[in-house]
Amino acid sequence: MPTPPPNSPRLHEAPANVYKVVYSALLWGMVGSTVLFALGVLRALSQHLSISLGPAPHWGWTQTWTGLAHLDPTALMIAATVLLILTPVARVAVAFAAFAVDRDAKFTLVTGIVLAVIVLTVILGRLGLH
Amino acid sequence: MPYTPHFVAVLFAAAVLAGFFGALLGVGGGIFIVPALVLMFQLPVKIAVAASLVSVIATSNAGGSSYVEQHITNLRLGMFLEVFTTIGALSGSVLALYLREWVMLMLFAALLLYMSWTAYITRHRDDQRIASGGYGSAAPDAWSRRLELSGRYHDQALDRPVEYVVNGSGIGASVSYLAGVASGLLGVGGGVLKVSAMNRYMNVPMKAAVGTSKMMIGVTAAVGSILFYLAGLIHFYIVAPVALGTTAGATVGTLVMNRLRSVVLKRIFAVLMLYLAYGMLVKALALRFHILLPSLGS
Repeated sequence: MPTPPPNSPRLHEAPANVYKVVYSALLWGMVGSTVLFALGVLRALSQHLSISLGPAPHWGWTQTWTGLAHLDPTALMIAATVLLILTPVARVAVAFAAFAVDRDAKFTLVTGIVLAVIVLTVILGRLGLH
Repeated sequence: MPYTPHFVAVLFAAAVLAGFFGALLGVGGGIFIVPALVLMFQLPVKIAVAASLVSVIATSNAGGSSYVEQHITNLRLGMFLEVFTTIGALSGSVLALYLREWVMLMLFAALLLYMSWTAYITRHRDDQRIASGGYGSAAPDAWSRRLELSGRYHDQALDRPVEYVVNGSGIGASVSYLAGVASGLLGVGGGVLKVSAMNRYMNVPMKAAVGTSKMMIGVTAAVGSILFYLAGLIHFYIVAPVALGTTAGATVGTLVMNRLRSVVLKRIFAVLMLYLAYGMLVKALALRFHILLPSLGS
């Protein structure tokens, strides 16, 4: 192991609890969406469906929850997609919380900025920027 | 279109390959998925791009969680660069309203060509610098010192811990911003530019750059995916086998990456960037000058 010169900073990582919560967020998001996607595909194959490549049908939350209760393939895949998409955002949110708990003001600010930009982008997207 | 086991299996297999190489290189794998969906399955490009974006999140979750667990990912560095890449993605969406696409394609093609060339000529540098302790003895810059961005990981191929001192934060942040712009403007993940920026300009070893980029690309893709989802462009029956395949491929890829020598990763990386640069150049020439070159599927 090389010895850092006197002007080198201490080489320490983000606190272990930040690594732990980020790992947990990514892992559970991946496991949850994988299980839902797999169930959805198996249910779709068992029903010998035909799919259309037209615009995706809009499902409201009530319809999705009801569909999930009946293991409807579309509802399972919608839930999996939403869980998958929200996982990286949740990862930033839990890192923000973990840095705040550690009283790391600099990285609470850094992760807070990232969260704010994500929210701003989605709002602008809803307003028709994209 | 009948939703048959054969259709699902072929989609899944193509996605496994994309997830595997995406995990090896710290990129999303969209560059493999989109051509596969369009050329092999004749799917509309918008559906292919939407499925690809969601699959980038799947590979980022699978690869990112593994690299975070192995502490190859530098969390502080990744979150610092995410500020610039998310702002870049946002401004890329605005720039798209004002800039001509062919100009941006030419600029990114030139940048990728340069990065490909530098990755190739410096392909032996990582192993040499690790052996000489060069990564750990560099002087940090002000941002790196203030935010404690430097890190360490255990290199399985060399069976030794590797420490590195991050510097060049300014240029690294600038290239990360450009990666975000490319993502917002052109719909690409930008992982290639992020890995290059960290390795080339910030004194971050290739493997740590790959692990950190893998975690970062999920956020950029998530923002794009939310917008596609709200616009009703995500086709769940296509996304499902693609996401399952990229998750499986990325899980295997993360196990392999740390066992490979950096020189191998950089060779693959240089070829990938050359391929991407060519694809952008082909599109730019077709858009501006109506010159049609073979697209090689990109």
